[in-house]
Amino acid sequence: MAKKVVGLVKLALPAGKAAATPPVGPALGQHGVNIMAFCKEYNAKTADKAGLIIPVEISIYEDRSFTFILKTPPASVLLKKEAGIEKGSGQPNKDIVGSITQDQLRKIAEMKLPDLNANDVDAAMRIVAGTAKNMGITISD
Amino acid sequence: MSSQWWEIKIQGDAALEELVYWRLDDFGCHGMATEPQDDGVVIRAYAFQESVQELDLAALTTWIRQDVIAAGLAPPQITWTVIDEEDWASNWKANWEPQEIGDRFLINPAWLEIPDTERLVLRLDPGAAFGTGVHPTTQLCLESLEMRGGQSNGETVIGDIGCGSGILAIGAIRLGMGKVYAVDTDPLAVKVAKENIELNQISGEQIIVTQGSLDQILPLAGKPVDGLVCNILAETITEMIPDMTDIVKSKGWAILSGILLDQAKDVADVLESNGWIVATLWKRGEWCCFNTRKAE
Repeated sequence: MAKKVVGLVKLALPAGKAAATPPVGPALGQHGVNIMAFCKEYNAKTADKAGLIIPVEISIYEDRSFTFILKTPPASVLLKKEAGIEKGSGQPNKDIVGSITQDQLRKIAEMKLPDLNANDVDAAMRIVAGTAKNMGITISD
Repeated sequence: MSSQWWEIKIQGDAALEELVYWRLDDFGCHGMATEPQDDGVVIRAYAFQESVQELDLAALTTWIRQDVIAAGLAPPQITWTVIDEEDWASNWKANWEPQEIGDRFLINPAWLEIPDTERLVLRLDPGAAFGTGVHPTTQLCLESLEMRGGQSNGETVIGDIGCGSGILAIGAIRLGMGKVYAVDTDPLAVKVAKENIELNQISGEQIIVTQGSLDQILPLAGKPVDGLVCNILAETITEMIPDMTDIVKSKGWAILSGILLDQAKDVADVLESNGWIVATLWKRGEWCCFNTRKAE
């Protein structure tokens, strides 16, 4: 019989660098999960993606065991990478810090589609474009 | 004293996750946690309490609200509170029970009485360091040490690379090995390992713990050691292999774990090209452990 899932947590973490500090510690500690065992598993499976943020969705079972699946990096991380910038704008209405093309926007949307609340690439592009606008990144034609 | 953190809690629409991540990242939060709710999500992010003032948190709240409203979503509820490391670090410990490993070991949480047993007891409080005995790689390393322990005498000297809680170093001494040079790049692990060595009433001259990596072993030991045990990650081990050869005596050995099965061939190839013979590969779940010896 399948084990009962008692908790579902998604963590956005730097690949290969999970540690018992927040957000891992509080998120898993509250469910009684062995925090360092998770860190070992996550770090092993993301070590080849060093430098990226790799979200992970963790299912926690009633016996405090866990399984996880890796997700796509946050749209903001992909946007910064495509725009070649380090940070978003503190005042996006006034300060534009970067620009990407429609093709780059589509590329990010296609990558993010499985993990977004969107039915198709066009809807995903609208969500990613919203994040870009908030970050002070413009989208050129 | 344990560390204190601001816990920033953001409740609202599921689409918030993508919207707020970069703001939290720019603010200095290292990652975030999201949990689904019936009508959306709860996002939690954390900032070191000493480095952030309440005014900073108020400003962050304003930025996030502006971003969310600009995206056409309902304003989220944002609150913050101070939490203590002890609040979460102790939770999983409550469920950690004594555990038999291999033919000879018993891992016993430091806060529990030692049961009546003929096994070799390793008392541990791992804190936030790696090495609780729960993970298959730690178990495989301890079982491999058991195999090596049968051939050792009080003169055997080994290196423990990435010692974490000190579990493998303590296990080696319990098996009758003479001395362990244990290193870890994480200062927290060094502190925890020293505490566990004391907890197990092992002399600081039998296990010498130092912050560092493989390159510390030869200067510390003064000559090549009989063996190495290393439970880290395949990528790190692969980088270390070329330097392992000079640190281990002729006919010496190395126990290497933290390697996923699908990484095994690549690691084995690097070992062989550097003069090591893979004697056995032990598997547990999706993890494996190499028992290797140095070629003539």
